[in-house]
Amino acid sequence: MPRRVSYVQLVVIGLVAGAIAACVAYFVPWMPTPASRQAGRIDFVYWYATIMCLVIFAVVAAILIYSIINFRAAPGDWSDGPPIHGNTTLEVIWTLVPAVLVTSLSIVSAIVLAKNGHAGTNPLVVKVTAQQFAWQFTYPNRKTYGVLRLPVNRTVKLEITSNDVLHSFWVPEFGQKQDAVPGQVNALDITPDRVNDAKRPYYPVICTELCGLGHALMRSKAIVMTQAAYTTWYRGSTQPAPAPGGGGGTPASVIFTQNGCGACHTFKPIPGATGKVGPDLDTIGPTAQKAGQSLLAYIKQSIVDPNAFITPGYQPGVMPGTFGSTIPKNQIDALSAYIASHQS
Amino acid sequence: MTDIAHAPAVTHSHHAPPARPTGIHRFTAPGWWRALWTTPLVGFAVIGLTCLIRWAAHWDPVWYSVPLVTVATVGFPMGFLIGIGAFDYWAYYYSGRPTRPEDHSGHGARRWQDYFRPNTDHKVIGVQYLVTTMAFFVIGGFLAMLFRAELARPGDQYFNPQTFNVLISNHAAIMIFAVVVPVFAGLGNFVIPLMIGAADMAFPRLNALSYWLLPIGGVLMLVGMITPGGGPSAGWTCYAPLCSHQPLGQVFFNMGVQWAGASSIVTALNFLVTIITMRAPGMTFWRMPLLVWANFATSTLVVLATPFIAGSQFFVMFDRVMHTNFFETALGGYALGYQHIFWFYSHPAVYIMILPGFGIISEVVSVMSRKPIFGYRLMALSLLAILVLGFSVWAHHMFVAGMASWLRVPMMVTTLLIAVPTGIKVFSWVATVWNGKIHFTTPMLWAVGFIAVFTIGGLSGLYLGSVPIDIHASDTYFIVAHIHYVLFGGSIFTVMAGIYYWFPKMTGRMYDERLGKLHFWLTFITFNLTFFPQHYIGLQGMPRRVADYAGRFADFNLFISIASFGLGASTVIFLYNMIHSWRYGEIAEANPWHALTLEWQVSSPPPIFNFDEIPQVVGGPYEYGVPGARHAILSGAAVSEPVPSGGH
Repeated sequence: MPRRVSYVQLVVIGLVAGAIAACVAYFVPWMPTPASRQAGRIDFVYWYATIMCLVIFAVVAAILIYSIINFRAAPGDWSDGPPIHGNTTLEVIWTLVPAVLVTSLSIVSAIVLAKNGHAGTNPLVVKVTAQQFAWQFTYPNRKTYGVLRLPVNRTVKLEITSNDVLHSFWVPEFGQKQDAVPGQVNALDITPDRVNDAKRPYYPVICTELCGLGHALMRSKAIVMTQAAYTTWYRGSTQPAPAPGGGGGTPASVIFTQNGCGACHTFKPIPGATGKVGPDLDTIGPTAQKAGQSLLAYIKQSIVDPNAFITPGYQPGVMPGTFGSTIPKNQIDALSAYIASHQS
Repeated sequence: MTDIAHAPAVTHSHHAPPARPTGIHRFTAPGWWRALWTTPLVGFAVIGLTCLIRWAAHWDPVWYSVPLVTVATVGFPMGFLIGIGAFDYWAYYYSGRPTRPEDHSGHGARRWQDYFRPNTDHKVIGVQYLVTTMAFFVIGGFLAMLFRAELARPGDQYFNPQTFNVLISNHAAIMIFAVVVPVFAGLGNFVIPLMIGAADMAFPRLNALSYWLLPIGGVLMLVGMITPGGGPSAGWTCYAPLCSHQPLGQVFFNMGVQWAGASSIVTALNFLVTIITMRAPGMTFWRMPLLVWANFATSTLVVLATPFIAGSQFFVMFDRVMHTNFFETALGGYALGYQHIFWFYSHPAVYIMILPGFGIISEVVSVMSRKPIFGYRLMALSLLAILVLGFSVWAHHMFVAGMASWLRVPMMVTTLLIAVPTGIKVFSWVATVWNGKIHFTTPMLWAVGFIAVFTIGGLSGLYLGSVPIDIHASDTYFIVAHIHYVLFGGSIFTVMAGIYYWFPKMTGRMYDERLGKLHFWLTFITFNLTFFPQHYIGLQGMPRRVADYAGRFADFNLFISIASFGLGASTVIFLYNMIHSWRYGEIAEANPWHALTLEWQVSSPPPIFNFDEIPQVVGGPYEYGVPGARHAILSGAAVSEPVPSGGH
């Protein structure tokens, strides 16, 4: 019994499926609002791919749904269907058309990739150093900060590296991402085009490569300022005042921030030190007593040999044991003194 | 429980199992009793030898966990394999002693105990693989339930970061190495010799050994999780240099991968030789069912690519145990080298994990639509195209890794081009269903569900193939969504289709159709609810492999976690159906699906050596609706021919 195919029904199903998918694609804010030129270009490629996918999805959905509705066998009827082996024209079409479509996506993507990797003349160069579990940003004036401040509408060329394992630098609103690899420097270009304000005070800097126990907490901030505000900040001295007994010129609070202590520990004198992975550094006294050591000695030991004494309620093997070799001794002394003298 | 393979009616001592050993011989005959002492013997001997070498070379401390655990992960499993008799025949042969007459006692299953020793019957091995991989599926899924509970709310509720990283790393490792890669070895093992008209695989003893390598790999991974000091927590990808500085449990992961990889390679060798040399007369390559084509392509991928992941794990182990500097950049190593070597296998691995599934779907869709596969030749060629192209795309996992910038463009082109043969397959399946006479049995539900979900997963792959989009989306939950759409909605759905489809053939009983449908719908709905929102949170800024996340993702994660618990619950229905039906299901006929391929032309379950006489293949395997067409002529009057259409 030959069946007549209702092409009207087929097209209607396709249009409905496509419309639903298009609504999902358009009304859900999938991508973050772009805050850089590069993100704007990424958005374009994203939409190019989306339109292609909507069409393919609608076609496949239409044929599948139509078949499910109209081509069911009668229960118990295991007789065969029509012996259709193929259709050369159709097969050529569905080979060539996708090939052309994906090639076009390649071309569009390659162009955007080239533009997004073009730093232009006179970019601002900032060295980004990742380590377990903090970010450091070093500016051309050789000052280092834990927060990335950028001028709007000027391309910044980030030179990214790592001190230990793989990390990855990402700001979702900027679109751009690049791994931090020990032993090499990877470049990443960002041209922010949206200034932060009170409503949106910063864009998050997120580590996106599993780097150990503090990976989820390895975050920082990117703050985009007007050119004028940036220049004022850059020229002015925004380093915290040196703490007593600064280690060889570097204030102890900066040593604290540079080594990412705040990612795992809470410490009131350092705003932003709100980590909960390790013990609260404001009240170390009782633990030092349990360890049978003076406060200063215990703090120093905890930095260079964290597993020597574990604060009750915490686990061994969590705090990296490498600080003894990566932080100079005088800085460790300064840092320990700083923490000891700021107990609450 | 019904025997999988029953002995033919005529019994002679040739096929009767030998008398079971008694007394001291229980401990010298191959089996678990012997393994009880050979395992510690070889294990401790290897440890002792290592200590001796360390002492003689003045490497202190002599009793140092890392090298000793490393050699132990080789020694104890070897002792176990020797004990259960996996090497017995070869040992006799190579030692020059007269080999024992082949009494086929190691072939076929007459009691449940026969499943727990090296068995040379491909049908038994297939069931061994399936049960083992499904057990690991439950374990790996349970790990996911644990960390989804943690992820339901931001902050750390139940697990500290180390435990969380262990949970996510091993969920993936177990699912990939102990479930999805070997489950197709199981289905393939059972079905392929039957489908090509062979009495068994080309190397039945090697086949028996290949199965036993798998539980060793899986158990090592599980042991690694509970190792004192910490389990593997560098992700299933185990990137250097983090991986070389992990707690002791990481050693178990590195070595577990080697054992599972060995299992995979040995099976693939067997499949390749069997498919190339043991097809029934008349079965040319162009008359092979697509499941056989798919396993042919997959096995080629396995033998070519798996050595590379072995290499990557060896390099990491060398860095850790022998203090080499392959990936230690401070001492001249190249950190990215690990990623190149690792992904050179792990990208083909994803095709290893889906191509056999494509073959299964082709079988199910054709039979359940009562139509030939649309475009059979192009379907076969597209498998080969994916095989070849699959080797040229690995660096799309490294678009943000910091490799040479220009390399991203050719990798993008090849990655996007793979969409073409994959698209051909999806369009061909849909065209097969079109104008067919569709039976929405449980296998067909899984097949259609697969097409729908895999299309979404494949399209999200198009996004990721474009370098600028991938730069934004890489290492976020968008990737997690993509992975699960293609590996769960893709591979696992095809596995379910295959298990339900061949269940009557394997067990001789029918599964419960209502429970099967319930399993499908519950899984399909909760799967989409769990993973579709992950595309969104990924693009919006949630990275992967984190226990804690920004507050604005809290509601999404709670929803996803609850949906995932539903997904976990659906597996319970599956397990109940399998176990209950295997024992109490309705007795199945030889060909409940009225299919043409050769496995359906023998009894359910098949005779111990499959065919009373080798079939003569005279036509293609999908000639539904073609009057007078035949796939094969079997012994006696049995003929494999389609039911003419247009009847009743």
